[in-house]
Amino acid sequence: MILLEPHNVVIQTTLGEKVLKPSSLDVAFVDYDGVRFHLSTPERKTLLLLSMHIRCWDELVQYGALDVLQREYGVLLQPQPEPEYSVSLVIDLEQVPATTEERDAFILSIALFKRNALAAPFESAFRTQKQLETAGTGQGELMQIHYRDEEAIYIQASPDRVTVIFSTIFSDETDRIYGKVFLQEFVDARRQPAIQNAPQVLYSNRDPPLEIRHLRDLRNTEDTGYVTFVLFPRHFSPANAAATISHIQLFRDYLHYHIKCSKAYMHSRMRFRVAEFQKVLNRAKQEVVVTERKTVTGRTMSTR
Amino acid sequence: MSVLAPIICDNGTGYSKVGFAGNSDPSFVFPTAIATRGPAGQSSRAPAVPSKPGHLASKRGVEDLDFFIGDEALANARTPGYGVHYPIRHGMIDNWDHMERYWEQTIFKYLRAEPEDHYFLLTEPPLNPPENREQTAEIFFESFNIKGLYIAVQAVLALAASWSSNRVTDRTLTGTVIDSGDGVTHVIPCAEGYVIGSAIKHIPIAGRDITKFVLDLMRERGETAAIPPEDQLRVAGKVKENFSYVCQDIVKEFRKFDTEPYKYFERYDGEHTVTGRKYSIDVGYERFLAPEIFFNPEIYSSDFITPLPEIVDDVIQQSPIDVRRGLYKNIVLSGGSTMFQHFGNRLKRDLKQLVDRRLDASVLASGSVLKSSGVEVDVISHKRQRYAVWFGGSLLASLPEFYTSCHTKAQYDEIGPSICRRYQIFGSAT
Repeated sequence: MILLEPHNVVIQTTLGEKVLKPSSLDVAFVDYDGVRFHLSTPERKTLLLLSMHIRCWDELVQYGALDVLQREYGVLLQPQPEPEYSVSLVIDLEQVPATTEERDAFILSIALFKRNALAAPFESAFRTQKQLETAGTGQGELMQIHYRDEEAIYIQASPDRVTVIFSTIFSDETDRIYGKVFLQEFVDARRQPAIQNAPQVLYSNRDPPLEIRHLRDLRNTEDTGYVTFVLFPRHFSPANAAATISHIQLFRDYLHYHIKCSKAYMHSRMRFRVAEFQKVLNRAKQEVVVTERKTVTGRTMSTR
Repeated sequence: MSVLAPIICDNGTGYSKVGFAGNSDPSFVFPTAIATRGPAGQSSRAPAVPSKPGHLASKRGVEDLDFFIGDEALANARTPGYGVHYPIRHGMIDNWDHMERYWEQTIFKYLRAEPEDHYFLLTEPPLNPPENREQTAEIFFESFNIKGLYIAVQAVLALAASWSSNRVTDRTLTGTVIDSGDGVTHVIPCAEGYVIGSAIKHIPIAGRDITKFVLDLMRERGETAAIPPEDQLRVAGKVKENFSYVCQDIVKEFRKFDTEPYKYFERYDGEHTVTGRKYSIDVGYERFLAPEIFFNPEIYSSDFITPLPEIVDDVIQQSPIDVRRGLYKNIVLSGGSTMFQHFGNRLKRDLKQLVDRRLDASVLASGSVLKSSGVEVDVISHKRQRYAVWFGGSLLASLPEFYTSCHTKAQYDEIGPSICRRYQIFGSAT
């Protein structure tokens, strides 16, 4: 598995089961970036309530998340979310499409709940870019999404591109080194002829990129890294936009996932090496030669 | 930000149960299997090495990411180039490379959790060597940078799960756990949260044997002629799960079935997986005979013939004398093969008989001078028996004391993996 999937597997499997066999339910689970979900049947077995808590909900609403969710889910979206959660959907299992394919598509769309909520600022940036392109000048608003405690996504539209900047914190010293190598490689990989069309990636450690340097609440410590993606209109043409959003919003998790994978790989190399060295050491072990030892008079010594 | 729910990860030999604390059921239950590139047999193969010097991923390739776990692993078992491995053997982790990658995908693909934000509760079998616990801690703290870790013994979690039963009044961690899964049945005595290792006993009869026995019975009666050969084991498993129960008296039960067969015989309706042809079979004596092999193993095997109640009694008699009362009073069932109806009642009755007989004998031996006040025997069945270990973990991890009993990342960095050699019992009322 190289890319992380955009949908939530718990929602997908649970809904898939409940559509076939409704039963009462009350589960809480999570998604990346501290998103909390709560899936329950408060009234009757066939009426599921799915609530989501996102840390940066207020910011997302400001950038039009409600419109996107309204478009995706329509009547399912509840005007009043469940207490302690940001937004709620009500899924009536009796209204689910009958054919298998349609049903799977419906369930998948529900499982993309978090992805759709986070897609709003990106869609808005892509729209702004179109407007600026026709106008010819100007800069879009710098959108900030503080999706984790100390990390944020910054999105800005310009007449010819959309810039997406991730700030990320490495909690561990080793992670920081891995992250640095990994991101450096991300930057280098673009030189390969096969992926010339990929968005441009820039990486800087500690120093924030120029676009966001004027912001005041930036952390200026050694463990902070900034990754800048420059998206050109070809990346968010109507055909590509959805995939681009799905991929880019999971970038931080993708990065940390791969850091962990590299560590696991290193560990398996180390284990293998140690086992090899152990073999060499064992070879060097001297065999204890058992010879009969005798005294001068010819009597054998016996061990007791 | 409020603390996100701890993750409970119970990796068993056959199945892994993973999910979030506070829920009553695990979010995922899938086989502990991993399908990697390369043939299945060689487990200690060297990891991929860069073909060209340097350490760029573009030169190395990404073979180490090319694997599947759980149901997907089994689905890919026949894909050319993949081999299925089972990283856990007899409850203990056998291949750390595979296990590390298995956890990696469990966390990132299925749970979709950022390990840095979560506490983890893992389980270990009784008598797990401390080195294994250290290895586990190393993987979780160093690869995944988790916030905190608690490694609990499965039997103790099963005891904690029994607190959900309304018959349990005091939250004690003293009791005997009968854990019967697919492969082996264990009888494990626990005293105040610590396992009495010297008294543990294993019984080579569990779910798989019951299924096989049901199949044998049906074959003898000629019922299996209707079932396609490849489905027979599955059908036997279904019959076991849906129709079986434990009877109180085997002779009476036979008579009941013979006098009123229409009332007691059941029908199982199946469908051929390929052709879609319908078939239907009679389910008769195997309804009560199947779980009977726990109580009269001689009807199934000739090499193992000690009944379960006797083994439980042996285990308790081998434990220190001052906890025996507690062990008799709190016998807890865990695992899918203890889910038969009336299993607890039958076990309680048989065990009570054994205990009373011994007490009577000792009264006689003392010349009827000393009289015992009796020993209370109680077997506790509850609704969460199937995933009792996981549920117990979920229950303990939602207690506020959980966070103080965990080993945190800071402590690990300070002391090192040896931190996991000691562990703290918490949650019990005593």
